[in-house]
Amino acid sequence: MSNNIPVELKYTKDHEWTKIEGDTVTIGITDFAQSALGDIVFVELPEVGKTLNHHQTFGVVESIKSVSDLFSPIAGTVLEVNKDLVNAPEKCNTEPYGSAWMIKVKLSNPDELNNLLSASDYQNFLSTL
Amino acid sequence: MSLLKTSLHEDHLALNAKMAPFAGFDMPLQYSSVKDEVLAVREHAGVFDVSHMGEFFVHGPEAVKFVDHIMTNDFQNAEMLKAVYSPLCRDNGTVIDDLIAYKLASDRVLICVNASNIEKDWNWISTKTSGFDIKLENHSKEFSLLALQGPKAELILRDFGIKLPTDFPYYSILETSHEGEKIIIARTGYTGEDGFEVFSSDEYAKKLWNKLIFNGVKPCGLAARDVLRVEVCYPLYGHEINDDVTPLDAGLAWTVKLDKQDFIGKNALAEYSPKFQLVRLSLERGIPREGYEVLNAEGVKIGTVTSGTMSVVTGKGVCLALVEKSKAPKDKKYLINIRNTNYEANFHAKAFVNGGHK
Repeated sequence: MSNNIPVELKYTKDHEWTKIEGDTVTIGITDFAQSALGDIVFVELPEVGKTLNHHQTFGVVESIKSVSDLFSPIAGTVLEVNKDLVNAPEKCNTEPYGSAWMIKVKLSNPDELNNLLSASDYQNFLSTL
Repeated sequence: MSLLKTSLHEDHLALNAKMAPFAGFDMPLQYSSVKDEVLAVREHAGVFDVSHMGEFFVHGPEAVKFVDHIMTNDFQNAEMLKAVYSPLCRDNGTVIDDLIAYKLASDRVLICVNASNIEKDWNWISTKTSGFDIKLENHSKEFSLLALQGPKAELILRDFGIKLPTDFPYYSILETSHEGEKIIIARTGYTGEDGFEVFSSDEYAKKLWNKLIFNGVKPCGLAARDVLRVEVCYPLYGHEINDDVTPLDAGLAWTVKLDKQDFIGKNALAEYSPKFQLVRLSLERGIPREGYEVLNAEGVKIGTVTSGTMSVVTGKGVCLALVEKSKAPKDKKYLINIRNTNYEANFHAKAFVNGGHK
Protein backbone atom coordinates (compact mmCIF):
# COMPACT_ATOMS: atom_id res chain seq x y z
CA MET A 1 0.00 0.00 0.00
CA SER A 2 1.20 3.44 -0.94
CA ASN A 3 2.34 5.41 2.08
CA ASN A 4 4.05 8.74 1.48
CA ILE A 5 4.06 10.99 4.59
CA PRO A 6 5.65 14.44 4.05
CA VAL A 7 7.41 15.60 7.25
CA GLU A 8 6.33 19.24 6.95
CA LEU A 9 2.62 18.40 7.36
CA LYS A 10 0.50 17.45 10.40
CA TYR A 11 -2.00 14.57 10.42
CA THR A 12 -5.12 13.09 12.00
CA LYS A 13 -6.21 9.55 12.79
CA ASP A 14 -8.97 10.09 10.21
CA HIS A 15 -6.18 10.14 7.60
CA GLU A 16 -6.31 13.83 6.81
CA TRP A 17 -3.28 16.05 6.38
CA THR A 18 -3.03 19.70 7.36
CA LYS A 19 -0.64 22.39 6.28
CA ILE A 20 -0.45 25.26 8.76
CA GLU A 21 0.42 28.77 7.54
CA GLY A 22 -0.30 31.37 10.23
CA ASP A 23 -4.00 30.98 11.03
CA THR A 24 -4.80 29.35 7.69
CA VAL A 25 -4.97 25.57 7.58
CA THR A 26 -5.08 23.66 4.28
CA ILE A 27 -6.70 20.22 4.53
CA GLY A 28 -6.62 17.12 2.34
CA ILE A 29 -6.55 13.34 2.62
CA THR A 30 -3.34 11.32 3.01
CA ASP A 31 -1.67 9.01 0.55
CA PHE A 32 -2.68 6.11 2.80
CA ALA A 33 -6.33 7.23 2.62
CA GLN A 34 -6.42 7.55 -1.15
CA SER A 35 -4.73 4.19 -1.55
CA ALA A 36 -7.15 2.49 0.86
CA LEU A 37 -10.16 4.02 -0.91
CA GLY A 38 -9.01 3.13 -4.42
CA ASP A 39 -10.23 5.03 -7.49
CA ILE A 40 -11.80 8.21 -6.17
CA VAL A 41 -14.66 9.22 -8.45
CA PHE A 42 -16.57 11.87 -6.52
CA VAL A 43 -15.75 14.65 -4.05
CA GLU A 44 -18.28 16.86 -2.28
CA LEU A 45 -16.96 19.94 -0.44
CA PRO A 46 -18.58 22.72 1.65
CA GLU A 47 -19.39 26.30 0.62
CA VAL A 48 -16.93 29.09 1.34
CA GLY A 49 -17.92 30.81 4.59
CA LYS A 50 -19.23 27.68 6.29
CA THR A 51 -18.32 27.39 9.96
CA LEU A 52 -16.88 24.05 10.98
CA ASN A 53 -16.62 22.57 14.44
CA HIS A 54 -13.78 20.28 15.42
CA HIS A 55 -14.42 16.84 13.86
CA GLN A 56 -17.51 18.05 12.00
CA THR A 57 -18.17 16.42 8.62
CA PHE A 58 -17.12 18.91 5.95
CA GLY A 59 -17.52 16.77 2.85
CA VAL A 60 -17.50 13.35 1.27
CA VAL A 61 -15.12 11.35 -0.90
CA GLU A 62 -16.48 8.43 -2.86
CA SER A 63 -14.64 5.63 -4.57
CA ILE A 64 -16.47 3.38 -7.01
CA LYS A 65 -17.76 1.18 -4.21
CA SER A 66 -17.57 3.29 -1.05
CA VAL A 67 -18.62 6.57 0.56
CA SER A 68 -16.38 8.18 3.23
CA ASP A 69 -17.03 11.29 5.29
CA LEU A 70 -14.36 13.96 5.64
CA PHE A 71 -13.89 15.31 9.17
CA SER A 72 -12.56 18.74 9.94
CA PRO A 73 -9.38 18.37 12.03
CA ILE A 74 -9.92 21.84 13.53
CA ALA A 75 -12.68 24.40 14.14
CA GLY A 76 -12.82 27.41 11.85
CA THR A 77 -14.37 29.06 8.82
CA VAL A 78 -13.96 27.82 5.25
CA LEU A 79 -11.90 30.37 3.31
CA GLU A 80 -11.40 28.55 0.05
CA VAL A 81 -12.55 25.33 -1.63
CA ASN A 82 -10.71 23.38 -4.32
CA LYS A 83 -13.37 23.40 -7.04
CA ASP A 84 -11.06 21.56 -9.46
CA LEU A 85 -11.70 18.35 -7.55
CA VAL A 86 -15.34 18.38 -8.59
CA ASN A 87 -14.37 17.75 -12.19
CA ALA A 88 -11.14 15.88 -11.49
CA PRO A 89 -11.64 13.77 -8.37
CA GLU A 90 -8.95 11.36 -9.60
CA LYS A 91 -6.37 13.97 -8.53
CA CYS A 92 -6.98 12.69 -4.98
CA ASN A 93 -5.30 9.47 -6.07
CA THR A 94 -2.45 10.97 -8.03
CA GLU A 95 -1.54 14.07 -6.02
CA PRO A 96 -3.08 13.77 -2.55
CA TYR A 97 -0.69 16.33 -1.03
CA GLY A 98 -0.55 18.64 -4.03
CA SER A 99 -3.31 19.64 -6.42
CA ALA A 100 -5.86 17.58 -4.45
CA TRP A 101 -5.94 19.84 -1.40
CA MET A 102 -9.60 20.15 -0.40
CA ILE A 103 -10.30 23.21 1.72
CA LYS A 104 -8.53 26.11 3.42
CA VAL A 105 -9.89 27.02 6.84
CA LYS A 106 -9.34 30.09 9.02
CA LEU A 107 -8.44 28.60 12.35
CA SER A 108 -10.61 29.72 15.32
CA ASN A 109 -8.74 27.98 18.15
CA PRO A 110 -4.95 27.70 17.73
CA ASP A 111 -4.74 25.31 20.74
CA GLU A 112 -6.33 22.60 18.61
CA LEU A 113 -3.18 22.40 16.53
CA ASN A 114 -1.56 20.58 19.47
CA ASN A 115 -3.89 17.64 18.86
CA LEU A 116 -2.52 17.02 15.37
CA LEU A 117 0.00 14.25 14.75
CA SER A 118 3.52 14.76 13.45
CA ALA A 119 4.61 12.75 10.43
CA SER A 120 6.38 10.22 12.66
CA ASP A 121 3.36 9.94 15.00
CA TYR A 122 1.12 9.31 11.99
CA GLN A 123 3.57 6.73 10.66
CA ASN A 124 3.48 4.98 14.04
CA PHE A 125 -0.32 5.13 14.06
CA LEU A 126 -0.47 3.51 10.61
CA SER A 127 1.77 0.69 11.79
CA THR A 128 -0.85 -0.17 14.47
CA LEU A 129 -3.62 -0.62 11.90
CA MET B 1 -17.16 -18.06 13.08
CA SER B 2 -14.08 -18.24 10.92
CA LEU B 3 -14.43 -17.44 7.27
CA LEU B 4 -14.32 -20.13 4.61
CA LYS B 5 -11.62 -20.01 1.97
CA THR B 6 -11.73 -20.97 -1.67
CA SER B 7 -8.95 -23.16 -3.03
CA LEU B 8 -7.35 -20.03 -4.52
CA HIS B 9 -7.17 -18.10 -1.26
CA GLU B 10 -3.35 -18.17 -1.12
CA ASP B 11 -3.16 -17.06 -4.74
CA HIS B 12 -5.34 -14.03 -3.97
CA LEU B 13 -3.09 -13.07 -1.07
CA ALA B 14 -0.02 -13.52 -3.28
CA LEU B 15 -1.55 -11.01 -5.71
CA ASN B 16 -2.04 -8.53 -2.83
CA ALA B 17 -5.81 -8.64 -3.15
CA LYS B 18 -7.85 -6.56 -0.76
CA MET B 19 -9.93 -9.26 0.93
CA ALA B 20 -13.38 -8.96 2.51
CA PRO B 21 -15.98 -11.29 3.99
CA PHE B 22 -18.70 -12.26 1.51
CA ALA B 23 -21.34 -14.95 2.07
CA GLY B 24 -19.17 -16.52 4.77
CA PHE B 25 -16.05 -16.63 2.59
CA ASP B 26 -12.92 -14.49 2.71
CA MET B 27 -13.08 -13.21 -0.87
CA PRO B 28 -11.02 -10.85 -3.04
CA LEU B 29 -12.69 -7.45 -3.31
CA GLN B 30 -10.13 -6.00 -5.70
CA TYR B 31 -6.55 -6.64 -6.79
CA SER B 32 -5.55 -3.43 -8.51
CA SER B 33 -8.03 -0.72 -9.36
CA VAL B 34 -11.74 -1.47 -9.71
CA LYS B 35 -11.81 0.78 -12.76
CA ASP B 36 -9.01 -1.14 -14.48
CA GLU B 37 -10.62 -4.47 -13.60
CA VAL B 38 -13.99 -3.40 -15.07
CA LEU B 39 -12.35 -2.10 -18.24
CA ALA B 40 -10.30 -5.28 -18.62
CA VAL B 41 -13.53 -7.30 -18.72
CA ARG B 42 -15.31 -4.91 -21.09
CA GLU B 43 -12.36 -4.61 -23.48
CA HIS B 44 -10.13 -7.71 -23.13
CA ALA B 45 -10.65 -10.34 -20.45
CA GLY B 46 -10.62 -10.70 -16.71
CA VAL B 47 -10.85 -13.71 -14.41
CA PHE B 48 -12.91 -14.06 -11.22
CA ASP B 49 -12.70 -16.74 -8.56
CA VAL B 50 -16.34 -17.55 -7.92
CA SER B 51 -15.71 -20.87 -6.20
CA HIS B 52 -17.87 -19.74 -3.29
CA MET B 53 -20.97 -20.36 -5.41
CA GLY B 54 -22.96 -23.54 -4.88
CA GLU B 55 -23.32 -26.54 -7.20
CA PHE B 56 -26.13 -29.06 -6.92
CA PHE B 57 -26.56 -32.05 -9.23
CA VAL B 58 -29.87 -33.66 -10.06
CA HIS B 59 -29.54 -37.22 -11.38
CA GLY B 60 -32.21 -39.56 -12.64
CA PRO B 61 -34.79 -40.09 -15.36
CA GLU B 62 -36.94 -37.19 -14.11
CA ALA B 63 -34.07 -34.74 -13.50
CA VAL B 64 -35.25 -32.28 -16.16
CA LYS B 65 -38.89 -32.55 -15.10
CA PHE B 66 -37.90 -31.89 -11.47
CA VAL B 67 -35.79 -28.83 -12.25
CA ASP B 68 -38.57 -27.49 -14.47
CA HIS B 69 -40.96 -27.97 -11.54
CA ILE B 70 -38.90 -25.99 -9.01
CA MET B 71 -38.11 -23.07 -11.31
CA THR B 72 -40.31 -20.44 -12.91
CA ASN B 73 -38.52 -20.32 -16.27
CA ASP B 74 -38.90 -23.03 -18.92
CA PHE B 75 -36.31 -25.78 -18.52
CA GLN B 76 -38.26 -28.68 -20.03
CA ASN B 77 -38.05 -27.23 -23.55
CA ALA B 78 -34.46 -26.02 -23.35
CA GLU B 79 -32.17 -27.87 -25.76
CA MET B 80 -29.64 -30.37 -24.49
CA LEU B 81 -26.35 -28.72 -23.36
CA LYS B 82 -28.03 -25.38 -22.75
CA ALA B 83 -28.24 -23.23 -19.63
CA VAL B 84 -31.33 -21.45 -18.31
CA TYR B 85 -31.45 -18.57 -15.80
CA SER B 86 -34.37 -18.63 -13.40
CA PRO B 87 -35.68 -17.47 -10.06
CA LEU B 88 -36.43 -20.18 -7.50
CA CYS B 89 -39.73 -19.32 -5.84
CA ARG B 90 -41.86 -20.37 -2.90
CA ASP B 91 -45.49 -21.42 -3.33
CA ASN B 92 -46.51 -17.81 -2.65
CA GLY B 93 -44.29 -16.59 -5.49
CA THR B 94 -41.60 -14.87 -3.39
CA VAL B 95 -37.99 -15.39 -4.39
CA ILE B 96 -35.76 -17.84 -2.52
CA ASP B 97 -32.82 -17.31 -4.88
CA ASP B 98 -31.92 -17.03 -8.54
CA LEU B 99 -29.92 -19.73 -10.27
CA ILE B 100 -28.61 -21.08 -13.53
CA ALA B 101 -29.56 -24.65 -14.46
CA TYR B 102 -27.40 -26.53 -16.97
CA LYS B 103 -28.91 -29.40 -18.97
CA LEU B 104 -25.92 -31.77 -19.13
CA ALA B 105 -28.01 -34.79 -20.15
CA SER B 106 -31.64 -35.88 -20.09
CA ASP B 107 -30.92 -37.46 -16.71
CA ARG B 108 -28.36 -35.02 -15.30
CA VAL B 109 -28.70 -31.34 -14.44
CA LEU B 110 -26.24 -28.99 -12.75
CA ILE B 111 -27.70 -26.12 -10.74
CA CYS B 112 -25.48 -23.20 -9.77
CA VAL B 113 -26.74 -21.06 -6.88
CA ASN B 114 -25.62 -18.00 -4.92
CA ALA B 115 -23.06 -18.66 -2.18
CA SER B 116 -25.12 -16.87 0.44
CA ASN B 117 -28.10 -19.12 -0.25
CA ILE B 118 -26.53 -22.59 -0.58
CA GLU B 119 -28.01 -23.89 2.66
CA LYS B 120 -31.38 -22.18 2.20
CA ASP B 121 -31.71 -23.46 -1.39
CA TRP B 122 -30.63 -26.96 -0.43
CA ASN B 123 -33.12 -27.07 2.44
CA TRP B 124 -35.89 -25.95 0.09
CA ILE B 125 -35.08 -28.06 -2.95
CA SER B 126 -34.40 -31.24 -1.00
CA THR B 127 -37.93 -31.16 0.49
CA LYS B 128 -39.49 -30.95 -2.98
CA THR B 129 -38.16 -34.20 -4.41
CA SER B 130 -40.94 -36.59 -3.39
CA GLY B 131 -42.77 -38.09 -6.33
CA PHE B 132 -39.81 -37.50 -8.67
CA ASP B 133 -37.48 -40.29 -9.76
CA ILE B 134 -34.31 -38.35 -9.01
CA LYS B 135 -31.32 -38.11 -6.71
CA LEU B 136 -30.17 -34.71 -5.48
CA GLU B 137 -26.52 -34.09 -4.54
CA ASN B 138 -24.76 -31.05 -3.10
CA HIS B 139 -21.25 -30.76 -4.57
CA SER B 140 -20.63 -27.15 -3.54
CA LYS B 141 -17.50 -28.02 -1.55
CA GLU B 142 -15.91 -30.19 -4.25
CA PHE B 143 -16.09 -27.70 -7.11
CA SER B 144 -13.97 -24.70 -7.86
CA LEU B 145 -15.45 -22.19 -10.30
CA LEU B 146 -13.58 -19.63 -12.37
CA ALA B 147 -15.33 -17.03 -14.52
CA LEU B 148 -13.25 -15.85 -17.47
CA GLN B 149 -15.13 -12.89 -18.88
CA GLY B 150 -14.55 -10.49 -21.74
CA PRO B 151 -14.36 -10.33 -25.54
CA LYS B 152 -10.99 -12.15 -25.60
CA ALA B 153 -12.14 -15.03 -23.39
CA GLU B 154 -12.88 -17.47 -26.22
CA LEU B 155 -9.53 -16.89 -27.90
CA ILE B 156 -7.69 -17.42 -24.62
CA LEU B 157 -9.38 -20.76 -23.87
CA ARG B 158 -8.79 -22.01 -27.43
CA ASP B 159 -5.13 -20.97 -27.16
CA PHE B 160 -4.87 -23.06 -24.00
CA GLY B 161 -5.95 -26.07 -26.04
CA ILE B 162 -9.43 -26.37 -24.56
CA LYS B 163 -11.57 -27.87 -27.32
CA LEU B 164 -14.69 -25.78 -27.73
CA PRO B 165 -17.17 -26.64 -30.49
CA THR B 166 -17.19 -24.24 -33.46
CA ASP B 167 -20.81 -23.49 -32.68
CA PHE B 168 -20.89 -22.78 -28.96
CA PRO B 169 -23.29 -19.87 -28.37
CA TYR B 170 -23.96 -17.91 -25.17
CA TYR B 171 -25.69 -20.08 -22.53
CA SER B 172 -24.27 -23.34 -23.93
CA ILE B 173 -22.43 -25.90 -21.83
CA LEU B 174 -19.86 -28.59 -22.49
CA GLU B 175 -18.30 -31.43 -20.52
CA THR B 176 -14.80 -32.08 -21.66
CA SER B 177 -11.32 -33.11 -20.61
CA HIS B 178 -8.33 -30.84 -20.47
CA GLU B 179 -4.87 -31.88 -19.34
CA GLY B 180 -6.33 -35.10 -18.01
CA GLU B 181 -9.00 -33.45 -15.88
CA LYS B 182 -12.75 -33.54 -16.40
CA ILE B 183 -14.15 -30.03 -16.53
CA ILE B 184 -17.50 -28.42 -17.27
CA ILE B 185 -17.38 -25.24 -19.34
CA ALA B 186 -20.39 -22.98 -19.67
CA ARG B 187 -20.61 -19.91 -21.84
CA THR B 188 -22.24 -17.95 -19.03
CA GLY B 189 -21.38 -15.22 -16.57
CA TYR B 190 -22.85 -12.19 -14.90
CA THR B 191 -20.94 -9.33 -16.47
CA GLY B 192 -22.89 -8.84 -19.72
CA GLU B 193 -19.79 -9.71 -21.70
CA ASP B 194 -19.04 -12.87 -23.58
CA GLY B 195 -17.29 -15.29 -21.29
CA PHE B 196 -17.03 -18.70 -19.73
CA GLU B 197 -17.45 -20.32 -16.36
CA VAL B 198 -15.26 -23.34 -15.70
CA PHE B 199 -16.38 -25.87 -13.08
CA SER B 200 -13.49 -28.10 -12.03
CA SER B 201 -11.47 -29.69 -9.26
CA ASP B 202 -9.54 -27.36 -6.96
CA GLU B 203 -6.23 -28.52 -8.48
CA TYR B 204 -7.33 -27.75 -12.03
CA ALA B 205 -8.72 -24.35 -11.03
CA LYS B 206 -5.41 -23.44 -9.41
CA LYS B 207 -3.50 -24.39 -12.55
CA LEU B 208 -5.92 -22.55 -14.84
CA TRP B 209 -5.96 -19.45 -12.63
CA ASN B 210 -2.19 -19.19 -12.57
CA LYS B 211 -1.89 -19.83 -16.28
CA LEU B 212 -4.42 -17.08 -16.99
CA ILE B 213 -2.62 -14.62 -14.71
CA PHE B 214 0.74 -15.59 -16.22
CA ASN B 215 -0.71 -14.84 -19.65
CA GLY B 216 -1.73 -11.35 -18.63
CA VAL B 217 -5.40 -11.89 -17.88
CA LYS B 218 -6.41 -9.45 -15.17
CA PRO B 219 -7.56 -10.92 -11.85
CA CYS B 220 -10.84 -9.21 -10.93
CA GLY B 221 -12.60 -9.02 -7.59
CA LEU B 222 -16.13 -8.78 -6.28
CA ALA B 223 -16.17 -4.97 -6.50
CA ALA B 224 -15.60 -5.03 -10.27
CA ARG B 225 -18.09 -7.90 -10.58
CA ASP B 226 -20.76 -5.78 -8.93
CA VAL B 227 -20.07 -2.72 -11.10
CA LEU B 228 -20.22 -4.89 -14.23
CA ARG B 229 -23.58 -6.43 -13.36
CA VAL B 230 -25.13 -3.10 -12.34
CA GLU B 231 -23.96 -1.49 -15.61
CA VAL B 232 -25.88 -4.14 -17.55
CA CYS B 233 -28.76 -4.11 -14.99
CA TYR B 234 -28.67 -7.74 -13.89
CA PRO B 235 -30.50 -8.27 -10.60
CA LEU B 236 -28.71 -9.70 -7.57
CA TYR B 237 -30.26 -11.67 -4.77
CA GLY B 238 -30.33 -9.61 -1.58
CA HIS B 239 -30.66 -6.40 -3.56
CA GLU B 240 -33.26 -6.34 -6.36
CA ILE B 241 -34.72 -9.70 -5.40
CA ASN B 242 -35.26 -11.07 -1.92
CA ASP B 243 -37.62 -13.06 0.28
CA ASP B 244 -40.27 -10.33 0.17
CA VAL B 245 -40.70 -9.77 -3.56
CA THR B 246 -41.72 -11.89 -6.52
CA PRO B 247 -39.90 -12.01 -9.87
CA LEU B 248 -42.77 -9.90 -11.26
CA ASP B 249 -41.81 -7.05 -8.92
CA ALA B 250 -38.20 -6.97 -10.05
CA GLY B 251 -38.20 -6.88 -13.83
CA LEU B 252 -38.06 -10.65 -14.15
CA ALA B 253 -41.48 -11.30 -15.73
CA TRP B 254 -39.59 -12.77 -18.71
CA THR B 255 -38.42 -15.62 -16.47
CA VAL B 256 -41.92 -16.56 -15.30
CA LYS B 257 -43.53 -18.91 -17.80
CA LEU B 258 -47.14 -19.11 -16.71
CA ASP B 259 -48.04 -21.17 -19.79
CA LYS B 260 -45.81 -24.10 -18.79
CA GLN B 261 -47.14 -27.02 -16.77
CA ASP B 262 -47.39 -26.82 -13.02
CA PHE B 263 -44.45 -25.34 -11.16
CA ILE B 264 -43.89 -24.10 -7.63
CA GLY B 265 -45.38 -20.63 -7.27
CA LYS B 266 -47.43 -20.81 -10.48
CA ASN B 267 -50.85 -20.26 -8.93
CA ALA B 268 -49.71 -17.37 -6.77
CA LEU B 269 -47.81 -15.69 -9.60
CA ALA B 270 -50.73 -16.12 -12.03
CA GLU B 271 -52.97 -14.08 -9.73
CA TYR B 272 -50.38 -11.61 -8.46
CA SER B 273 -50.40 -7.96 -9.40
CA PRO B 274 -46.93 -6.55 -8.77
CA LYS B 275 -46.40 -4.13 -5.89
CA PHE B 276 -43.05 -2.92 -7.16
CA GLN B 277 -41.36 -2.02 -10.40
CA LEU B 278 -37.63 -2.08 -11.09
CA VAL B 279 -36.31 1.15 -12.61
CA ARG B 280 -32.91 2.16 -13.97
CA LEU B 281 -31.80 5.66 -13.01
CA SER B 282 -28.65 7.70 -13.47
CA LEU B 283 -27.42 11.05 -12.17
CA GLU B 284 -25.49 13.79 -13.92
CA ARG B 285 -23.61 14.38 -10.69
CA GLY B 286 -23.29 12.23 -7.59
CA ILE B 287 -23.55 8.51 -7.03
CA PRO B 288 -26.78 6.79 -6.00
CA ARG B 289 -26.09 4.14 -3.36
CA GLU B 290 -28.10 1.23 -2.01
CA GLY B 291 -30.67 2.44 0.50
CA TYR B 292 -31.01 6.00 -0.82
CA GLU B 293 -34.61 7.18 -1.20
CA VAL B 294 -36.22 7.55 -4.61
CA LEU B 295 -38.91 10.22 -4.92
CA ASN B 296 -41.31 11.55 -7.54
CA ALA B 297 -41.02 15.12 -8.90
CA GLU B 298 -43.18 16.37 -6.02
CA GLY B 299 -40.66 15.02 -3.53
CA VAL B 300 -42.81 12.14 -2.26
CA LYS B 301 -40.88 8.97 -1.46
CA ILE B 302 -41.88 6.16 -3.81
CA GLY B 303 -39.02 3.69 -3.53
CA THR B 304 -35.45 2.81 -2.66
CA VAL B 305 -32.18 2.29 -4.50
CA THR B 306 -31.34 -1.44 -4.43
CA SER B 307 -27.90 -1.29 -6.10
CA GLY B 308 -25.87 1.75 -7.06
CA THR B 309 -22.39 2.55 -8.22
CA MET B 310 -20.29 4.81 -10.37
CA SER B 311 -20.40 3.33 -13.86
CA VAL B 312 -16.86 2.94 -15.16
CA VAL B 313 -18.05 2.88 -18.77
CA THR B 314 -20.45 5.85 -18.70
CA GLY B 315 -18.68 7.83 -15.96
CA LYS B 316 -22.05 8.51 -14.30
CA GLY B 317 -23.62 7.39 -11.07
CA VAL B 318 -26.11 4.65 -11.97
CA CYS B 319 -28.56 2.56 -10.00
CA LEU B 320 -31.35 0.04 -9.94
CA ALA B 321 -34.28 0.91 -7.69
CA LEU B 322 -37.52 -0.71 -6.63
CA VAL B 323 -40.41 1.75 -6.67
CA GLU B 324 -44.05 1.21 -5.73
CA LYS B 325 -45.75 0.38 -8.99
CA SER B 326 -48.92 2.34 -8.21
CA LYS B 327 -46.83 5.45 -7.55
CA ALA B 328 -44.37 5.16 -10.45
CA PRO B 329 -44.59 8.56 -12.19
CA LYS B 330 -45.94 8.48 -15.74
CA ASP B 331 -43.71 11.43 -16.66
CA LYS B 332 -40.67 9.27 -15.67
CA LYS B 333 -39.40 12.12 -13.51
CA TYR B 334 -37.56 10.73 -10.53
CA LEU B 335 -35.48 12.29 -7.78
CA ILE B 336 -32.84 10.60 -5.64
CA ASN B 337 -32.09 11.85 -2.15
CA ILE B 338 -28.41 12.03 -1.31
CA ARG B 339 -27.42 13.40 2.08
CA ASN B 340 -30.68 15.38 2.41
CA THR B 341 -30.62 16.92 -1.06
CA ASN B 342 -32.85 15.73 -3.92
CA TYR B 343 -31.17 15.31 -7.30
CA GLU B 344 -32.99 14.88 -10.62
CA ALA B 345 -32.38 11.45 -12.08
CA ASN B 346 -32.39 10.32 -15.70
CA PHE B 347 -34.77 7.45 -16.44
CA HIS B 348 -33.36 4.66 -18.63
CA ALA B 349 -35.62 2.35 -20.62
CA LYS B 350 -32.64 0.06 -21.28
CA ALA B 351 -29.46 -1.01 -19.50
CA PHE B 352 -26.74 1.63 -18.97
CA VAL B 353 -24.22 -0.47 -20.90
CA ASN B 354 -24.79 -3.00 -23.66
CA GLY B 355 -22.72 -6.05 -22.85
CA GLY B 356 -20.93 -7.68 -25.75
CA HIS B 357 -22.17 -11.23 -25.24
CA LYS B 358 -23.41 -13.06 -28.30
